Amino acid sequence: MIMPDMDSLAHPQERRFNPYTENGGTILAIAGADFSVIAGDTRQSEGYSIQTRYAPKVFRLTDRAVLAVNGFAADGNMFVKKVKQRLEWYHHAHAKDMPLRAIARLIQTMLYARRFFPYYVYNILGGIEEDGTGAVYSFDPVGSYEREACRAAGAAQSLVQPFLDNQIYFKNQEAAQGTSHPSHLPLETVLSIVIDSFTSATERHIEVGDGLEIFIALSKGRTLQGMESIRGLQELTVTEDGERLFVMRRDLKKD
Amino acid sequence: METSFALTGKGYVIVAADTTAIRSIVKMQIDQDKIKELSPHLLMAYSGEPGDTVQFAEYVERNIRLYQIRNLYPLRPAAAASWIRRSIAETLRTRNAYSVNLLLGGYDTSSHTPNLYWIDYMGTVVEVPFAAHGYGSYFALSLLDRYHDPEASLEEGLATLKRCIDEVSKRLVVDPGKYKVKVVDKDGIREVEI
Amino acid sequence: MNSILQRYSGSNAGGLSKSTIDEDNDFSDAMWGSEAGFGTLAKGVPGFVVPSVPDPAAFLRLHTDDHADPSCRIKIQHGTTTLAFRFQGGVIVAVDSRATAGSYVASGTVKKVIEINPYLLGTMAGGAADCQYWETYLGMHCRLHELRNRERISVSAASKYLSNLVYSYKGMGLSMGTMICGWDKTGPAVFYVDSDGTRLKGDLFSVGSGSTFAYGVLDQGYRWDLTDEEAQELGRRSIYAAGHRDAFSGNTCNLYHVKEDGWKFIGNYDITKLHYEGPGDVAGSPGHGYGYDMRVEGRSSANPPEAPAQA
Repeated sequence: MIMPDMDSLAHPQERRFNPYTENGGTILAIAGADFSVIAGDTRQSEGYSIQTRYAPKVFRLTDRAVLAVNGFAADGNMFVKKVKQRLEWYHHAHAKDMPLRAIARLIQTMLYARRFFPYYVYNILGGIEEDGTGAVYSFDPVGSYEREACRAAGAAQSLVQPFLDNQIYFKNQEAAQGTSHPSHLPLETVLSIVIDSFTSATERHIEVGDGLEIFIALSKGRTLQGMESIRGLQELTVTEDGERLFVMRRDLKKD
Repeated sequence: METSFALTGKGYVIVAADTTAIRSIVKMQIDQDKIKELSPHLLMAYSGEPGDTVQFAEYVERNIRLYQIRNLYPLRPAAAASWIRRSIAETLRTRNAYSVNLLLGGYDTSSHTPNLYWIDYMGTVVEVPFAAHGYGSYFALSLLDRYHDPEASLEEGLATLKRCIDEVSKRLVVDPGKYKVKVVDKDGIREVEI
Repeated sequence: MNSILQRYSGSNAGGLSKSTIDEDNDFSDAMWGSEAGFGTLAKGVPGFVVPSVPDPAAFLRLHTDDHADPSCRIKIQHGTTTLAFRFQGGVIVAVDSRATAGSYVASGTVKKVIEINPYLLGTMAGGAADCQYWETYLGMHCRLHELRNRERISVSAASKYLSNLVYSYKGMGLSMGTMICGWDKTGPAVFYVDSDGTRLKGDLFSVGSGSTFAYGVLDQGYRWDLTDEEAQELGRRSIYAAGHRDAFSGNTCNLYHVKEDGWKFIGNYDITKLHYEGPGDVAGSPGHGYGYDMRVEGRSSANPPEAPAQA
């Protein structure tokens, strides 16, 4: 005889293997002529619940490479861990940091190795190339990538990217008579665009807010040019006489 | 694989429709006329759900004729398009809607302009210089963007139509086969061979 | 099919986390250093992690197929128009640059022509990562062929290599439709290769959601004896047509020309600019916008009767 509470065992059951969730948040990166800015909010949520107000999404890889990850936080953290491990091995083998474009290709192959069981993460890699230029690389979850001047990803991508298109690429803007749009913006302008992007995304997207972390990678020899006293700035540079790396932390609304 | 095209030119509209009647995987007829002559200067190509097409086309044909009998003058193309659209829109909101796509080509004898209306089964009407329905539209519309000329002579217009027909038979999986082609201009309606 | 699954999923298909454990043990020595640049080739085809479920392809489809289920989480970029054709003066390759995820324009600056080596180009339609990864991989093997055989690989052999490679993953969910274009001993060559395993040799191909619109313009303007300028204009004009009529294609057009001495990048053209102003001061330019309204501006189909001559 089948017990009433054994009912569930009496019937065939369908189980779906679902190892993914979405943890919200937004990341963004902008490349300048000799610097790169990579930023992300720090809220981590699932559905309508906030899990934590401080879960970093932007990570220092080397003095000239910063990786931002967005999507499924557990996959993201695992992925960053593995990238860091590979970069450390590279350092042991070659006694130098891996160049940015090589890190980009490494990330492609690491993501593609999971083509049939993907990491649910959108990556943006920012930093300084070997030629000293600022760079941003953006990836899809299975590793297709492209070098760009700016990119937003994550929950508020569709809010932030059009703003960036207008303010960075000057899309749909006509230059005043006899002038032309600059191809690269100064750091000060870029920082205010980044901060405005996140305060606005916080206003209009429920999954964005709490805190903001902005990483700034400077090309070799370049200084902050009078921005040293900016609020919330902290230097992260490890090696001397090379590229310099800073992080700037700001509050975002917490409601 | 039903396909129909229409294009305007200097003082005329050409309307073309394939002549194949298909049921399931079978060709039932290869010389069907899917273009109705609604009035002395008005043509309508119809395609869509079998049954609905002919029923609706005949309904339109009779009513346009009735208007002419009552008023002693025919409906102008723009007015006919409006009336046809309304008929589709009204039946769409009942339990037995007509699933019919139309190309309405007419020559307005008052303003001396050829008019072409693209109408779909949802009751969307748009006046256009050229139009197509069916799978053929995926190949023909870009071609017409490239080659259509509002001031083309009838010969040039037919040559452009020939390009559309050739392109569709070249690329579409199932060649729609033969087409019936009708022209409407200031002198009325006539069928042309291509 | 099952042989591949077995190869990549390990022996116990029931164990839930077996594959992730495998992944850690799967590091080759190549990952520690460079092994003189041959590290990644040392093991043959690279290894892939596969979820330990009875049907990994169904698992992948469940989470990535945005055509069947728009609410799926992992959006793989889709939507494209690409074309390539052979003519008297070589091969013209033209593509758009839009990537879409659902109805969102994920990028308007995608490089859909993959420069495999100075003599070979591949185009990208379907999964962006699949095309980028496997065509890069193909490039590595083309170089190895050169080193081993002291001559360049033929376009036919290169495309066959890619075709066999993606065929070995058939049913796993790869998605690519590509044209492998180049110039070898036999002259200009174009091969169409897709993830079903189809491989076709031909003069003219177009692939992607906008391909029908491109074909409409391309077929009508195509001749073998096109001049270089005419051919480049035809490629540009066809991508414009697709960008104009297909919502999933657009932004810009990238144009390449392959000749006997390898490929050359001709230019990047904004499709909106092509519509209003045309390609500008380039070979084959019509001198006006490609847009219908630009082309027929001032022309009318009305034919009012001519005013009777005054007696």
